[in-house]
Amino acid sequence: MADWTAQVFQNEYLPEGATDIHAIVTVTSHGTGHAGESGGAAEAIIIDCSGSMGAPQSKIIAARQAAAAAIDEIADETWFAVIAGVGLAQPVYPASGMVQADGRTRAVAKDAVSRLTPQGGTAIGQWLLTAYEHFQAAPATQRHAILLTDGKNEGETAKRLRTAVETVTGEFQCDCRGVGADWDVGELRGIASALLGTVDLIADPRDMAADFQAMMQTAMGRGVADAKLKVWAPQGAELLFVRQVAPTIEDLTDRRVNVTPLITEYPTGAWGDESRDYHVAVRVQAKPIGAEQLVARVQIEVAGQVVTQALVKALWSDQTELTTRINPAVAHYTGQAELAEVIQEGLAAKAAGDTDTATFKLGRAAQLAAETGNEEATQRLAKVVDIEDAGTGTVRLKRDASKLDEMALDTSSTKTSRVRPS
Amino acid sequence: MTCPGCGAAVAADFAFCENCGATLTPSEASAPAPARDLSARTHMISLHAEPDTPPVPLCAECGGAVGDDGWCTVCGVRASNGREHVTEQPAPTVAAVSDRGRIHRRNEDAFAVAAHGGWTALVVCDGVTTAANSDAAAYAAARAARDLLAAAERPNGSSDERLQHWSLQAKAAALAADEAAAAAGPNDDPSPPSCTFVAAIADGAAIVTANVGDSRAYWLPDDGSAEQLTVDDSWATEQIKAGVPRHVAEADPKAHAITRWLGIDSPGVDATTATTIATGPGWLLVCSDGLWNYCSDAATLRSLLDKQPSEPLARAEALVEWANQQGGRDNITVTIARIGDSS
Repeated sequence: MADWTAQVFQNEYLPEGATDIHAIVTVTSHGTGHAGESGGAAEAIIIDCSGSMGAPQSKIIAARQAAAAAIDEIADETWFAVIAGVGLAQPVYPASGMVQADGRTRAVAKDAVSRLTPQGGTAIGQWLLTAYEHFQAAPATQRHAILLTDGKNEGETAKRLRTAVETVTGEFQCDCRGVGADWDVGELRGIASALLGTVDLIADPRDMAADFQAMMQTAMGRGVADAKLKVWAPQGAELLFVRQVAPTIEDLTDRRVNVTPLITEYPTGAWGDESRDYHVAVRVQAKPIGAEQLVARVQIEVAGQVVTQALVKALWSDQTELTTRINPAVAHYTGQAELAEVIQEGLAAKAAGDTDTATFKLGRAAQLAAETGNEEATQRLAKVVDIEDAGTGTVRLKRDASKLDEMALDTSSTKTSRVRPS
Repeated sequence: MTCPGCGAAVAADFAFCENCGATLTPSEASAPAPARDLSARTHMISLHAEPDTPPVPLCAECGGAVGDDGWCTVCGVRASNGREHVTEQPAPTVAAVSDRGRIHRRNEDAFAVAAHGGWTALVVCDGVTTAANSDAAAYAAARAARDLLAAAERPNGSSDERLQHWSLQAKAAALAADEAAAAAGPNDDPSPPSCTFVAAIADGAAIVTANVGDSRAYWLPDDGSAEQLTVDDSWATEQIKAGVPRHVAEADPKAHAITRWLGIDSPGVDATTATTIATGPGWLLVCSDGLWNYCSDAATLRSLLDKQPSEPLARAEALVEWANQQGGRDNITVTIARIGDSS
């Protein structure tokens, strides 16, 4: 049995008349075991085999090796399939449905992927629907896919892609990877986010095998197939937002399912031994000095059982030394959320030729990255802008910034740094 | 009966639906709701017909069900711990009163007292408001200390021997109280449960006190000088030691910051002990800062005490009421014992 803990970080003291409470809840799981322990696990590997994967040839070669590296990590008895993404998706191995991993099936699969050839176009929606069909053939409740593409979704309409993503949302999780500079970060991020997966850029095809291996290892290390985040807020309260803030930023607010008028639920997918932070903001009616109120119960539910709970409280006080304190975790993640936002907005403005907005937004990003100690973001920003003064957010856009550096900054914008110990 | 809002099954006497929070109006089919005694802050009403089912406490504010975590599942108000105003009189000469005061919604002070045959133990613990579950810590700590003292051997030695014996026992009581406070959990909270500790033992004329934090013991003899027996572990005391006048130090907003406490994150629980020999009759008073905050000086406290009714429980009640009249900004706990009357 996994051990779960939930810890809350907040300043519960509110001055007279205040209504908004912010809290960071750190959820940690230990001893989760391995994928498939409760109801079996299934993996799909979806490799873009559109014509562009052959130009240069190194991309398809790297993709074959990466698929093989991932196959090697699939644990015995895990159901799996490899799918080639062409105009329509084609099964690579097995011919239909899924097979259980063992020495023989892994070897046959690797042999099949070694013969992948580039042909056709990119229709990611079709690939996802095909993967879903394969998943349905396997008696496994924990389902995860890895999707690799090198291009934009030009083989089908945006609407078809959207419909396909909606169809498979909640059916399996999907980590998405883009190789090269010709894919659309926003498009792939949208897919990964809906399917509770990660998105990343593989700038150099030679790094692909290691990345695929790591992704599959992570997936195999998730022993809790599905956990839900549940948030209770009192009658009359308004849940302003619920946001995952670490390891990456994901606004969960729009994914809520109303369980009761007071309780909302958010899917969080499978868990290994890990820690995730959530930012919960609640608005309540102000109460008199001295009053206290529970403003949120933040729970994790696994298989219908609440496994851990954190309590977010409000306590109205006239002691300014208490009410003016800013909780470092809340401040940190508020900054990280804004950082992700200004990076994405800045890059979008730059792409649209709006230099002033891009300079302002990326300047603010440089300032926030420095303030919050997000060194990865600072390094990536420095490849896109010349940071003249991080303190004031003064930057100049680099004229020769590479597309890949911009994409790297964009894909990693939602990765957050943890709170620095004070 | 089902909720008209969401259709969930609800007990007939619930004022709100546990599922959706909708107000429930009593239907004709349901039994009339029992009249609620709103002076009591927790009502126990059985959720199901089965007599074995433990009763679900209802929120005193809105009538919703109280969750296992101690907070209302509808309006989020914390359920009462049943300690808004508690009194105890274990012997005719000993009385204890604890009250939540006028500002705090909850009483996080606790006392535990014992008395028999010329021997008295008074213990007060004040739960630290900024830490989780401190009312439970204070309650458990006070009881653990009192029980250890009550079970201790009572030697028939000289006064000095008894002072020495009870000093050791009082230190042991502080350790027992610390263990009990630490066990009040949750231990993964960033500010785990914590409380102050003060115990006073009167064995005949021998009086011993031990404290950690800023709850106090006073010896208030009918004749002779009244004295505060304990020394606070607090910011104010450190300032006074450094030469700042008492009234200035105690008026500072930081005055109440305690420098030692009981609980998992305690910086040390080697209780500070003090001893005295009663040379005549008087009152032993052990209290939380909810009282002494309004009357810190021992002599003033004695004249205040002298104005109150002489019966111990009435006297303790009167002191608590007096503190409430001064503003009742904190929880107030007063325990007193009459010492040294020839009987």
